[in-house]
Amino acid sequence: MIPRKWKMYWKMYWPRIVITLVIILMLVLAYVGLMSLESFYRNITLATMPINLIMVALNATIFVFMYTMFMQGGLAKVSKSKIRGELVNVKWDDVIGMEEAKREAWEIVQLMKDRAKVKQIGGKILRGMLMLGPPGCGKTYLAKAIATESGVPFLSMSGSEFVEIFVGVGASRVRRLFTKARELAYGHGGCIIFIDELDAIARKRVFSVFGGTEETNSTQNQLLAMMDGLSEKDENVVVIGATNAGEDTLDRALLRPGRFDRKLFIDRPNLEEREKIFEYYFSKVKYDKSSVDIKRISRKAVFKTPAEIENIVKESALIAARDKKDAVEYKHVSEAIERIEMGLKQRRHMTPHEKEMTAYHESGHLMVLYLLHPTKDVFKASIIGRKGALGVVHENPREETFTHSREVLMADIKVTLAGFVAENLKFKTTSDGVSSDFNMAMKIAHNMVWAWGMNDAGFIGDYTIIPESQLSEKVKETLNDETYKIFRTCLKDVEDILTKEREIMDRFVKELMEREELDYDEIDAIFKEYGKSSPKPSF
Amino acid sequence: MKIKTLVFLALSVCAVFILSGCAPTYPKGSFKDSIIKVCKREYKLDVKVGLIGKTAAVYLPLSDLIDFTFAITTSASEKINDVILTSSRVALSSDADYDFFVVIAHDTRIPEIQLVIVKSVLDVKRFLLNDISRGEYAKRMLIDIRLSPQAQKERSIKEVFEKMGLDKKWQEQVMNDFFRSEPAALGDIGYWSGRFYVKDIPLPEFLAEQIASRVKIEAREDKKYAEQFTIKTSKGTFVTKGGKRTFVFETLSDPKWFKDLETNEISTRVTELVFKVASHVLRGYRFSDFDDVEVIDQLNGSSVRVVRDDLERFRAKKAKLEDIIRR
Repeated sequence: MIPRKWKMYWKMYWPRIVITLVIILMLVLAYVGLMSLESFYRNITLATMPINLIMVALNATIFVFMYTMFMQGGLAKVSKSKIRGELVNVKWDDVIGMEEAKREAWEIVQLMKDRAKVKQIGGKILRGMLMLGPPGCGKTYLAKAIATESGVPFLSMSGSEFVEIFVGVGASRVRRLFTKARELAYGHGGCIIFIDELDAIARKRVFSVFGGTEETNSTQNQLLAMMDGLSEKDENVVVIGATNAGEDTLDRALLRPGRFDRKLFIDRPNLEEREKIFEYYFSKVKYDKSSVDIKRISRKAVFKTPAEIENIVKESALIAARDKKDAVEYKHVSEAIERIEMGLKQRRHMTPHEKEMTAYHESGHLMVLYLLHPTKDVFKASIIGRKGALGVVHENPREETFTHSREVLMADIKVTLAGFVAENLKFKTTSDGVSSDFNMAMKIAHNMVWAWGMNDAGFIGDYTIIPESQLSEKVKETLNDETYKIFRTCLKDVEDILTKEREIMDRFVKELMEREELDYDEIDAIFKEYGKSSPKPSF
Repeated sequence: MKIKTLVFLALSVCAVFILSGCAPTYPKGSFKDSIIKVCKREYKLDVKVGLIGKTAAVYLPLSDLIDFTFAITTSASEKINDVILTSSRVALSSDADYDFFVVIAHDTRIPEIQLVIVKSVLDVKRFLLNDISRGEYAKRMLIDIRLSPQAQKERSIKEVFEKMGLDKKWQEQVMNDFFRSEPAALGDIGYWSGRFYVKDIPLPEFLAEQIASRVKIEAREDKKYAEQFTIKTSKGTFVTKGGKRTFVFETLSDPKWFKDLETNEISTRVTELVFKVASHVLRGYRFSDFDDVEVIDQLNGSSVRVVRDDLERFRAKKAKLEDIIRR
């Protein structure tokens, strides 16, 4: 009896096998033919063979070039990525910082490993799993770990690889992908199809009034049909999709049970997970344990994804190497975070007056951020230009907070208005540098009143969804008054605190004028000199 | 396709062709038998083969070599071509080092008449490799139909023996001892009474014969000469005397008097023709082991000589005939 693997290889590679056999047959015939010639004619044939081979190769090259140029739109098409199985080697323990998601994904591993057992105990057979979440959180990594742990082939394709200008090409690629997965599952007992950036083909379908459909529609229809086919044929193939797009942007047909019936949200890591991730990546580089406090760095790296954390560690190692240090130190990590968060420095020539004004503006921001904000802290203050701005105060949340209270929002407004107030206090005039600050402050204040019910006039509800023409002038006027009231309250609080702490502000201006940049530790030390401390717990 | 697959394919192709290209089809030891076997197997012809030095001779007895007009019959022509082809194939696909092969066809009804064809193996090779044209290849072949010199000689001697009343037994003995030997010239090559009369052909002699033959052909084919004269006889020899190597050509032309040309003028034209053909042929074979070329015109008994370098200048049209000839 022919082993199943042999059958699988025949199914998968029959064109190659046939071509190889034909080539061998031709070689044998060539040998027999040559041996039947007399040696002189044989030598003539052999002597002319190199030039014949060159001519054949030249002809073939010209043909392929012309064909691709005129028929397929260029040589770039030849290198179009193809569906191919790849051996992945990501171990389950290598996946860190997503314990919840791992627990959910383990079911898939069990299913792939022992499908019969899962069925026997009444376990639900999964056809597809959809991984949602922000980019860089390890969706692809987890999918590879599932494949490694299951010990089955892993076919990986990006959603964009299905998208073509020609109608039908995407659908044909979906068919080929599933056919190949079935063949591999036949020989290896299972197969995982991983489609990254699924949103490229899984967005809500568009139906044209002219009767036609978009190319992605047919690709998606084919995907739906093939996933249904998996249920019918009871093959051990699981489709894992990954996307950064929101669930509501995906077509509902894909999300119904029987297709992507398991949804896994892979979010940014929490503090504990960040610590583990930092530990994992720091274990791969040399670092000074007395200087680098992983817990402290983890607290500073709020909302950072695993990819960003990896980048921070790599960048730190690069900076340490550039500084000719043997090990990464805290200042290297700090500089790496700054470079990633704030971008490269762009030194501009400013007049002394302009520089002083920028220093007052940024000092205002940092004072209010440090002294008044309940959840955010200052990470760095700088009067070196970055990304088009003359100066910047980079803020950092203390903890992951997913909702914002009235107090936090008010504090946000105060921080943004502080630049304006500081300029006014010192120079009795202001600059257009406040443009983006006002924009931000007004937007928050407006939403607080109009959308989130945070006003004293008793207007509870979201007034932004009501068309403006349907709102009375009185309501609009009242809501706008409330917005202005918030604005004024915040402005007054900022004026009060900056007037009161003018000495500290002048000190920060002096320091910034001299050093141009101040880190959190330096800022904290100056405040402590004046007996001030942040209302938040220390990092 | 992966690199490994391509390398494997390339190596397989090389292996196939290297393996197939090694041994000669007709080894040196069985050269003679190979010609006999191929003629028998492929053309049902019975031939005899003789090997002398670097020359191979093939004897083909035919019952219908010539018809009553003394022209070669079509059937005989085809058979002769088959033998020439076989000899060429075996000579080319063998490690035996033969320079010339001679095909001698006899009419069994009139054994004194023989057709002798002499070919250079190198010419055959160059023709098959398209190094020379078909016309040039045909001109490089020596073809002669003649009475066998050995037959004529033996007939004359036998007449003498008869007149002398020599015993038949002794006649054969004397003939073998004194009158049956290797021919001195290419013109004496032949086959008579079950024996080859073939010599190891040297290239200069072959070239001399070829030039003489081609002078006749050229005089016939070139309108410029054909209008003025015909070449009745043309003989070529290669003479080495006192360390001097000379190609000597003796011609006898027949002027067409109605053109009213002086004998000397005709002689000049003939001389010019001989030098032209000689320079062309010698250059074609890249042959330079000679010192000069001499033309003896029997029409007026004149003899002119040209040294090798001057002959080349004449061929390259860098010198005129009157400037290079030495009397």
